[in-house]
Amino acid sequence: MKRLFIYLFFCTFSLNAFSQTVISGKITHDQGEALAGANVYLQDSYDGVSTNESGAFSFKTSKTGDAVLIVGYIGYEQIMRKIELKGDTIHLNINIKEKFNQMNAVTITAGTFEAGDKRQAITITPLDMMTTAGAVGDVYGALQSLPGTSTNGESGRLFVKGGDSNESQTYIDGSLVYVPYNSSVPNLSTRGRFNPFMFKGTIFSTGGYSAEYGQALSSVLLLSTNDMPTEDQLDLSLLSVGAEVADTKLWKNGAITGSFTYNNLAPYMGIAPQNYDWVHPPESGTGAISIRQKTGKTGMFKFYTSMAKSELIVKQANPNADGDLFNYNLANDNYFMNGTWNGKIGEKLAMNIAASFTHNSDCIRYDTVSVDQKTVGTHLKNVFTYPFTEKFTLKFGGELFSKTYSQNALIPSGIHFNSFSNHELSVFTEAQIYASSKFITRIGTRIENSDYLNSLKISPRISAAYKLTDNSQFSLAYGWFYQNPLDDFLLYTHHLNLERADHYIFSYQSSINKRTLRVELYYKDYKDLVKTGNGAIYFPSTYSNLGYGYAGGLDLFWRDNKTIKNGDYWISYSYLDTKRNYENFPKEAVPTFASRHNLAIVYKHWFSGLRSLVSLNLKYSSPRVYNDPNSPVFNGAKMLPYRSLDLSWSFLYRKNVIFYGAVTNALGFKNEFGRQYANTPDSGGNYPGIAITPQSNRFYVIACFITLTKKGNANQLDKIN
Amino acid sequence: MKRIILSLTVVLCSLAAMAQNPQFFRSMGETLGQYSTCKSVADFQSLGNKFQMIANVEKNEWLPLYYYAHCYILMSFIDQADAAKKDSYLDVAEKSVEKLIEMVPTESEVYALQSFYYTARLVVNPVERGHKFSRLSNQAIGKALKLDMTNQRAQLLKIQGDMGSARFFGKDPNTFCPQAADLLANWDNFKPKSPIYPVWGKDQLESIVKGCQ
Repeated sequence: MKRLFIYLFFCTFSLNAFSQTVISGKITHDQGEALAGANVYLQDSYDGVSTNESGAFSFKTSKTGDAVLIVGYIGYEQIMRKIELKGDTIHLNINIKEKFNQMNAVTITAGTFEAGDKRQAITITPLDMMTTAGAVGDVYGALQSLPGTSTNGESGRLFVKGGDSNESQTYIDGSLVYVPYNSSVPNLSTRGRFNPFMFKGTIFSTGGYSAEYGQALSSVLLLSTNDMPTEDQLDLSLLSVGAEVADTKLWKNGAITGSFTYNNLAPYMGIAPQNYDWVHPPESGTGAISIRQKTGKTGMFKFYTSMAKSELIVKQANPNADGDLFNYNLANDNYFMNGTWNGKIGEKLAMNIAASFTHNSDCIRYDTVSVDQKTVGTHLKNVFTYPFTEKFTLKFGGELFSKTYSQNALIPSGIHFNSFSNHELSVFTEAQIYASSKFITRIGTRIENSDYLNSLKISPRISAAYKLTDNSQFSLAYGWFYQNPLDDFLLYTHHLNLERADHYIFSYQSSINKRTLRVELYYKDYKDLVKTGNGAIYFPSTYSNLGYGYAGGLDLFWRDNKTIKNGDYWISYSYLDTKRNYENFPKEAVPTFASRHNLAIVYKHWFSGLRSLVSLNLKYSSPRVYNDPNSPVFNGAKMLPYRSLDLSWSFLYRKNVIFYGAVTNALGFKNEFGRQYANTPDSGGNYPGIAITPQSNRFYVIACFITLTKKGNANQLDKIN
Repeated sequence: MKRIILSLTVVLCSLAAMAQNPQFFRSMGETLGQYSTCKSVADFQSLGNKFQMIANVEKNEWLPLYYYAHCYILMSFIDQADAAKKDSYLDVAEKSVEKLIEMVPTESEVYALQSFYYTARLVVNPVERGHKFSRLSNQAIGKALKLDMTNQRAQLLKIQGDMGSARFFGKDPNTFCPQAADLLANWDNFKPKSPIYPVWGKDQLESIVKGCQ
C-alpha cells in the first residue's frame, strides 16, 4: 500500500514529455547470440532499460545533444558508445565480449592440485585434508590419496611420480621448511610437523612447477597459512594421543595465537597392540606463536614460530647382531620460524618478502653407535609481481638458501665429525601471458649458484593450457629441475654436481557439474644422479654424477559429488614405470620406493540427521621391490602389496564441539615393507634378514575439538576487521 | 488508514530531502515499486540493472547500491544454476557491500545486508562453507544490532539463523517463535528514515510465524 502511494505521489512529477529520442536495438554477445538482461542506459541519466529475452531494447529519452550509451552485463566488457540525441529514432545493434577475468580464465593444471576456500574449480578442498580417512590430521597423509603419490608405510613421507621422498619440498607462505617431518626411527612411519588447521590453502604440484621454486626434483607443496582470525577464541583439542590448547586474541588489524601441544603415545600403546617393543613411547611437546598484522590497505604481515622437543626409545632388531634387540633412542629438538609480508608498492607492483629459519638437531643412540646431527637453515626470498595488463604478468625475484649440516658420529672405529655449509643464491623470472581467456602460457627461467658445489645452473620452465570447451581443458608443462645431492653425500665431498630431472607433462581435465575427470601423462628424465661406486657410502672419492634414470606414468583422477546425494567420492589411480641407476645400484633397476599400481578410493557421506561426516578410504599399492643379497638379482625380491581400509567419523555435536574417531587398516590387512639384511653373510654364506613391519596393524584415534568464543554478547561480535 | 497517514507523514518529512533531488527519489520510488512483481532471475536482474543505473548517477547515495546488491543476493537464491554462476552473482554483491561499508560505515542496514550476503555464500555449498560463513554472518548481525537494536532485518536474520542452527543441532527451533511473533506484531510500527529506506523482510517473517503454528 505504502509503496503504491509513494509511486503515485512520484508520478505527479513525471509529466514532462517534450521532444523525445527513441533508442532501440539488439544486444548480442560473442558469436552473435542474443543477450537477455543486459543493462542499456545513458550515462549520468535515469534513462535506460534491460534487454528482453531476444536481446532487444527500446527506451525514450528527453535529453538532447551528445550522450554516451552504456551497455553492461555481469562478466562482460562494458561498452560505451557516443550517440547524438536529436529527437528522432536511433537503432543500434551492439555485440559485447566476455570480460577477461583471470578467475574464470583457463588455468595451468598440469601436475597441480590446488585447494582454496572459495572457488569451485578445485579438485581438493582444505576440508578434505581433515576429513579424508587415513590422513588422521596429517597434511602429507591426505595428499597420499591423490594421483601421482604412493603410500609407503615404512616412511610416511611424500613420494611423487617415481621420485624419492627427499625430492619433494614443502614451502609455508613462500619460504622453505627445511625439516617438514617429525624425526623418526628408520623404517617407521612419520608425520608432518604442522597442523592442517593452520592452512587455508594448498597447492600441491607433482611436477612442471613455476620457476619460482627450485631445489626439488619431483614436487613442491605450497601451504598458505590462515589469514586474520575473526574473533577471540580458545581452542581445546583432546586426543587419545595428546592434547592441544590454543588461544587467539585480536586487536585492531592484528591478532596473536599461542598454542601448546603435548603428545604422548604411552597410554595408547598400553592398550593397542604394537609390533614393536617401546621402552619410551613417542612423547613430544610443541609451543607455537603466530601473529597476524594488517599493514596499510593491502599489506599483511604473518609470523609463525615454534619450538618442539620429542623423545622416543624403541627396541629394534639388529640384523648385524643375529637379530638381537637394541634400544634405538631418538631425541629431537626443532626450532622453526617463518615470516612473510605481502603487499603492494604503489598501484600495481605486488611484493612478497618471506624468510624462514630452521634449527633441527637429532641425537641418536643405537647399540654401539651414537650420532648427533644438526641442520641449521635459513631461507630469504623476495618476489615481485607486476601486472602490465590483465593478460600479461611478470614475476621476478631472488632467494638465498643457506644451510649448515653437521654430523658427529661415535662408532666403534672412532669419532667422525663432518659438516658442510652451502649458500645457494637464485634469481628467477617468469612471464604469464594470456592470449585469450582460453589460452595461457607461462615461461620462466631460474638461475641458481651454489658456493659449496661451485656450480651455476640455469633451468628453463614452460607450461601452457588451452580451454577446449567451457568445462574442459588440457595443459602441458616442460622444465628442468635441479636439486643438491643428499646431505649424506655432501658431508663428505663437494666434488659433486646438482642432480637434474626434466619433466614432460600432458594433462587433460574436465569438470562438469561437480564431476571432475583428470588424466595426466608424464615422463621424467633423471640425469646427473649421484653414484657411490661399489656400494660403499664412505668413499667419497668414488662419488660421481653418473647416475641416471627415468619415471613415466599415467595418473587418473575422478571425483563426483553429484551422483549420490550427500555423498562424495573420488578414485585415484596411478600407473608408474620407473628405473634408475644411482647411489649404490649395480645396474639400472626399479627403486624400492616405487610401486607400479597405486589406487585410492575415497568415499565421504554426510548424514545430516546424525550431523556426521563419515569417510572411507581404500588403498592398494602393488608389491614393491627390495634387494635380497641372497638372490643374484638386484632389487629382485617383492614385498607384499599394501592394502588398507581406513575409516573416519566426524560428529558435529554442537556448533563448537566436534568429536572425531578414525581407524586405519580397519580390516587388519597384513602389510610388510620388505626385509632388512645384515651387511655380511653368516657362516652358512647367507645374509640374515628381518622383516620390516608397520608400527601396528591398525591405528586408532579418538578426539574432541572444542572452540570457546565469547558468544551471546553483541559487544564482542564486532571485533572482526 | 493508519498506515496511509503514517506513510504520508514520512513522505512529507522527507519532502525537504526530495526537493533537493526529486528525480532520484522518483526513480527510486518507481523502481522499488517493482520489487513485488519480481519473481524470476531475469526480473531481479532488470531490477538490479535499474538500481545500478541510478547508483551510477548518484554516486553519493548508498541506497541504490544497497538494492543493487540485494537483487544479486536474491538472484543467487533463486537461480538453480551451478555454484560458479551463483558465486558470480555474489561476487557482484560482495563488491557492492564492501563499497557500502566504506560509504556509510555506521549504517546498521548495511551490516544486515552483509549478513544476508554471507548467508547466501553459505547456501551455495553448506558442507564446505557452513562453518566459516555462519560465523561471518553472525558477526555481521552483531554489528548491525550494535549500531541499531531496532533494525528489523537484522533481528529477522538473527531469528532465521538461530532457528536454522537449532534445527541443525536437533534442538527445538520453536523456542524462537515468541521472538518472531513479537517482531511481527511490532513490524508496522517501524518508521523508515525515508520512503526509500529498506523495509523488506515482512513476508519472510510472516512465513516464519506461520511455520510456528
